[in-house]
Amino acid sequence: MQPTRALLGMRYRKLRLTTKDVNKGFYKGTGTGAMGRHTKYGGYVIEWDRVRTYACPDLTGFKLTPFVTHNVKPTYGQYEGSKLGPKDPAIYLAKWKAENGLD
Amino acid sequence: MASPAIMPSMGAVVSRVSSAAMKKPLQFTSRRATPPAKSRLQQQRFAPISTTASLLKRHTYVGARSNKDMSKKRGESALRRTGTRWRLSMSDEPLPKPVPREQLPQIATDENHGLWDFFADRRSVAATPEDDAKHGRGWTVEELRHKSWDDLHKLWWVCVKERNRIATANWERTKSKLGFGEAESAGRDAQVKLTMRNIKHCLTERFYAWEDAVELAKKDPEVDLSGNGPAFTPTEFLEEEAAAPAEPVGNAEAADAVDPSTIPSPKLQGEAPRV
Repeated sequence: MQPTRALLGMRYRKLRLTTKDVNKGFYKGTGTGAMGRHTKYGGYVIEWDRVRTYACPDLTGFKLTPFVTHNVKPTYGQYEGSKLGPKDPAIYLAKWKAENGLD
Repeated sequence: MASPAIMPSMGAVVSRVSSAAMKKPLQFTSRRATPPAKSRLQQQRFAPISTTASLLKRHTYVGARSNKDMSKKRGESALRRTGTRWRLSMSDEPLPKPVPREQLPQIATDENHGLWDFFADRRSVAATPEDDAKHGRGWTVEELRHKSWDDLHKLWWVCVKERNRIATANWERTKSKLGFGEAESAGRDAQVKLTMRNIKHCLTERFYAWEDAVELAKKDPEVDLSGNGPAFTPTEFLEEEAAAPAEPVGNAEAADAVDPSTIPSPKLQGEAPRV
């Protein structure tokens, strides 16, 4: 018998972990969370506050695309005198005040 | 009366029948004396054998082989189109005949269904590689910093739809084994993913800045976060400053807001909090 070619050499650690690589109790899942709970009678109750909802805004008249033309060179922010740059709370507050501090 | 051909066991039966027939004319004559009845009686008198079913049962010897037909579908053949041996409940129903696809009635579909967004256009399942390759670069974080929350939210969903379109095209390409267009599609997808990543970056950054700004605002005498009265009460000194370009950082950023793509409308941009 010969092992799979993928197992030859030192590549085992780089393979995906499967249920056959570990002892029992391993749950791989699909990365998706539960949307309810199991009942003791074997049923399943969907909890609607766990069910995913997607709030897609109305896109009519929205003209932006995922792409920017190559003719526009990427711009860089100018944050003179601010070490934090865009993360500076003072800039945030100043802007908030400039917009009359409504929100 | 019994003919010699009849088996000896049946002789008694036949004689019994004939004796009954001999008695019957008396009863009939008492009711009505009609000549045709007499002739029928004469026919009965000369009946050769008994028709009593139970007595006509075939004699089988003990241990004899069963004569039953074990093959219930004997004689049925699809090749000879014999049909079933027994009539079925739907035997009289006429079979439906196939109709060509062209003659079928048109199925009504919604012209503006949301699922159409999964395709590049209505005519084709996937965009050509030439069309796929026609795309710019993704948005940079700096460009997105000048966009409002609503714009970023919408742009995110535009990206989601674009990626759906790319995935549909990829699926169709794999299914029909076209063998081309993967590189163009992957290049397009990479730029969309870059945009989405930068949107997340921008929003995270904005959230952290807001958190810190709230802390800063608590120390600010102009800002009242208690919720009673106006949140921002500018002093006169600062109002003058605000009128003049006193804050170089914020204004520089605002002046820098040359958006590379189309801006929805300047009014909307002005309304939305642009931080």
